[in-house]
Amino acid sequence: MTDRPASTTKNADEGGTDYLETIPYRVVAVYLPLGVFLFVLLFPFYWMTIATFKSNTELLTTEGFAALWIVKFTFENVERLLFQTEYPRWLVNTLFVTFTATFLSLFCAVFAAYAIEKLRYSGARLVGLAIFLAYLVPPSILFIPLATIIFKFGLFDTPFALILTYPTFLIPFCTWLLMGYFRSIPYELEECALVDGATRFQILRKIILPLAVPGLISAGIFAFTLSWNEYLYALVFISSSEVKTAPVGVVTELIEGDVYRWGSLMAGALFGSIPVAFLYSFFVQHYVSSMTGAVKE
Amino acid sequence: MSKFTRRDMLKTTVGAAVAGPALLAAARSWAQEMKFTPEPGAKLRMLRWKRFVQSEEDAFLALIDAYTQATGVEIRIDSLGFEDLRPKAAVAASVGTGPDIIWNIHADAFLYPDALVDVSDVCNYLGEKYGGWYPIAEEYGIKDGKWIGVPFVMSGNFINYRVSWVQDAGYDGIPDNTTDFLDLMKKLKANGRPGGFALGNASGDGNAWAHWILWSHGGSVIDKDENVVINSPETIASLEYVRELADTFIEGAASWLDGNNNKAFLASDISVTNNGISIYAAALREGMTDISDDMDHAFYPVGPVGKPTEFHVAFPMLTYKHSDFPEAAKSLITWMMEADQYNQFLQGAVGYLTQPLRAFEDHPVWTEDPKRAVFQKASERSLSFAYPGKLGRAATEVFADFVVVNMVAEAATGRKTPQEAAEDAQRRAERYYVL
Repeated sequence: MTDRPASTTKNADEGGTDYLETIPYRVVAVYLPLGVFLFVLLFPFYWMTIATFKSNTELLTTEGFAALWIVKFTFENVERLLFQTEYPRWLVNTLFVTFTATFLSLFCAVFAAYAIEKLRYSGARLVGLAIFLAYLVPPSILFIPLATIIFKFGLFDTPFALILTYPTFLIPFCTWLLMGYFRSIPYELEECALVDGATRFQILRKIILPLAVPGLISAGIFAFTLSWNEYLYALVFISSSEVKTAPVGVVTELIEGDVYRWGSLMAGALFGSIPVAFLYSFFVQHYVSSMTGAVKE
Repeated sequence: MSKFTRRDMLKTTVGAAVAGPALLAAARSWAQEMKFTPEPGAKLRMLRWKRFVQSEEDAFLALIDAYTQATGVEIRIDSLGFEDLRPKAAVAASVGTGPDIIWNIHADAFLYPDALVDVSDVCNYLGEKYGGWYPIAEEYGIKDGKWIGVPFVMSGNFINYRVSWVQDAGYDGIPDNTTDFLDLMKKLKANGRPGGFALGNASGDGNAWAHWILWSHGGSVIDKDENVVINSPETIASLEYVRELADTFIEGAASWLDGNNNKAFLASDISVTNNGISIYAAALREGMTDISDDMDHAFYPVGPVGKPTEFHVAFPMLTYKHSDFPEAAKSLITWMMEADQYNQFLQGAVGYLTQPLRAFEDHPVWTEDPKRAVFQKASERSLSFAYPGKLGRAATEVFADFVVVNMVAEAATGRKTPQEAAEDAQRRAERYYVL
């Protein structure tokens, strides 16, 4: 064993984040990486925004125009999106399908995760694993058998075709996420409640769920985003324009053969990302807390 | 909007107020002696690919509306991008529900022929009346002696080029042989005006130029007896040509899909590409006269095989067996393809779409603008992707898997040697033919 000089050990222990107090260090260690990270994350949004308000000519050619900012500002693309397509209706459809599917999935996932994590029956681990494996089956394999079921239920070309199929990937995902969160809630809390005569349902409702709010929000946000962006099922199970969701509607209406209406496509993508960004901004603290460790014993 | 309503119809016919009553009168007259009688109370639902050009859709919907008014058959039209149409059509065939008619792309009908109505009576009637079908139309439409789809249109895919830039490189136009074409492309690149051909999974443009280059050197996926023969000296020769040609491309073509070359051409970033007439139409629509005045279209150069080897895109109408109203579907398609109606439709399509029946090849749409002229020949010059073999399920699956396009892309980008790319394509294609 090599003896380390005492002074070095002391410096390292006492140092902490003191080195960030000097400006050069702060620039190199914090602001520069943060700036690069922000640039990478926000550039697509910037690109969407400027493309939304550029004229068609400006989008098609760089001669006399600049790639990174707008020379001729126009609302033409927004107008086409909002008034020449059924975009507002697609947004409403997407919201309806997304909220309903997310709620349904969370509802089921709470019971599934609680049963697997807290009831401690034999084979619970295997059930958890099986649910996770279900999440790994890609939609591109599932969509034809699901289409048969949807047809037999008479749900083809209705929002319920999506509301009932999205949980096939949302429930496994939410269950797996909530299982991890429920695992972090001390069992002693439940034991106390059981001693006091609480039923399992009361424990879930009055103890587990209030403690698991960050986990529920996190699972909800993920489920919301997955539903919001879903493309394949929405494409296959829906035909009528008035029932389409925004991701499918935008692509099917604004790509004409090999002619892409880039401005309106970008406007559709930009406006479509607003609800998700809005949701994240409200719940970001809960979301982070659920990711970083939940309830500590 | 995708959904076609009466209200939309009123909007679309405003610009054609004179033609409206005439068309309606023609429809009523036609309905008195129509060959196929719709079932009582028939309603049809059609899914079509998203229009290339508004005037084509307007003409199409005007004909549909006239038919509805004359026969009482309600028709609902939905549309999707042609790439997205294919999974929908496959699901409709597998599940047995969905639109009555799907105006599809390529030869997807060969993937699910049993789900489709035999439309031999429609095709035989139209063929006899309108000068016969081009061989390519019969190839895409007939399986085991019966018609499984009505070849409604072809969409031409030819060389698009900037006239003045090609002239600057010392050529009057696109050369008629692949050797001079390569020389032209090198000179254009040296002049700072590179060309570009799609190397991504571009269903239209990628397939069109990849098959051309393969066939032009004598290569093919299968032979006449349906043996997979893509790993051949001819294929390797074509890929060596591709390697040289790709050096003249603009950066980024390796990831191009169908829309990227349109954008690059309109941005004056490239001098030569392959495409339908959509680039020219977009330049006209956007008032980009510097492009539209200075561009033209040409046939693909002929390779060492000494004859044209072109691939153009087929768009057949498929009627599904799950339809409760197959006679109404036949009646509608027949109405659309009768001369008076089809002429209006071709006019609206302004060169995007080409007739599959010989009687329409002298349509004025091909002569009123000389830059449309080559598109007149799309049906006449096109080979099927199974050439020189027969279209079938395996050929369609190989095509849908982009085996030829990927092989060309791998050789073009240098990811694989021509030999390796051909061997890989052989393995991929054999999987479908063995199964």
